[in-house]
Amino acid sequence: MIALSENQAGALSELINIAFGLTAANLSEISGHRIRLDPPTISSHPIDGLADRLAAFKEGELVFVRQGFNGPFSGDAILCVNSQGAVRLSSILIEEHRQSQQLDSSAAEILTEIGNMLLSACLGVFGNLLQLHVSISVPELHQGQLGQFLESLKIADGDLRHAVVIDSSFKISNSGVVGRIAIILSVSSLERLILAVDKWEGNTVYAK
Amino acid sequence: MKAKVLIVDDSSVSRRLVQGYLEAAGHEVTEAYDSMPALDQFTLEKPDMVQLDLVMSGMGGLEVLQKLRETDSQARVIVTTADIQNSTRNMATQAGSRAFLNKPIRREELSTAVNSSLEGLNQ
Repeated sequence: MIALSENQAGALSELINIAFGLTAANLSEISGHRIRLDPPTISSHPIDGLADRLAAFKEGELVFVRQGFNGPFSGDAILCVNSQGAVRLSSILIEEHRQSQQLDSSAAEILTEIGNMLLSACLGVFGNLLQLHVSISVPELHQGQLGQFLESLKIADGDLRHAVVIDSSFKISNSGVVGRIAIILSVSSLERLILAVDKWEGNTVYAK
Repeated sequence: MKAKVLIVDDSSVSRRLVQGYLEAAGHEVTEAYDSMPALDQFTLEKPDMVQLDLVMSGMGGLEVLQKLRETDSQARVIVTTADIQNSTRNMATQAGSRAFLNKPIRREELSTAVNSSLEGLNQ
């Protein structure tokens, strides 16, 4: 893991809190419910150890919305919800009761768009505050086990041997929907992110 | 002012939402799910205004915007996107968008942007 100075760690935490906080605010607006967001954490893992870190739910089928990003730093932003929560979340948005507990094509599309709104906003905070442009890809929905999903990340990025995970769990009040937001970066991308954060932190301190 | 509006968004959820808002305001709406149909429909249907998503597979929204403006330099285009970056807003503005709205779209913001974009139509 890259060693961060106290200032760097503080600045990065502040940036992440703002980004994830905005994401939670958007989710609250979309769902009409209060969101409880756990404090985001940063950790470094070998790619094969990601499953343990990201296992918001130890068992069962999960639904992932993945949005790749490129620019000064690149990686994947991920929204992960358990299958039942995904159906509930899509029902909340279109305000209709679903008989089925399966994620049909309509519910899948709603969830993909929710993921797009949440993840793009989260990544956009990084771009805005660091005064960089992050190119955001089209969101993709994956269903299945966590291991299968992580396999797809490895295939997509052969260089990704070690990953830095910035993640937080959330819960939508009165709905039973729980999930996880994560940003996965390669170590080299994190180094570039830290450089940008250094500059931002310097400007922020100067501005004070 | 009632207008003909082309909605371009690869998300049917977003298209449906915007269509509901616009039709409730009395506008006539057509839809395109992707960039190529959007460019065809723009040429054939000659809408008064286009509501354009930016993050789409294939040709992205910014490129579509440039092509729309090449086809009609006065094209009235409102950009809607989940991308909240100021740099993206600047790129859209430079490419000729009349308004830039972030998703989730609020009815009042859309209404204001549409009315502002349609100012001067038929004058």
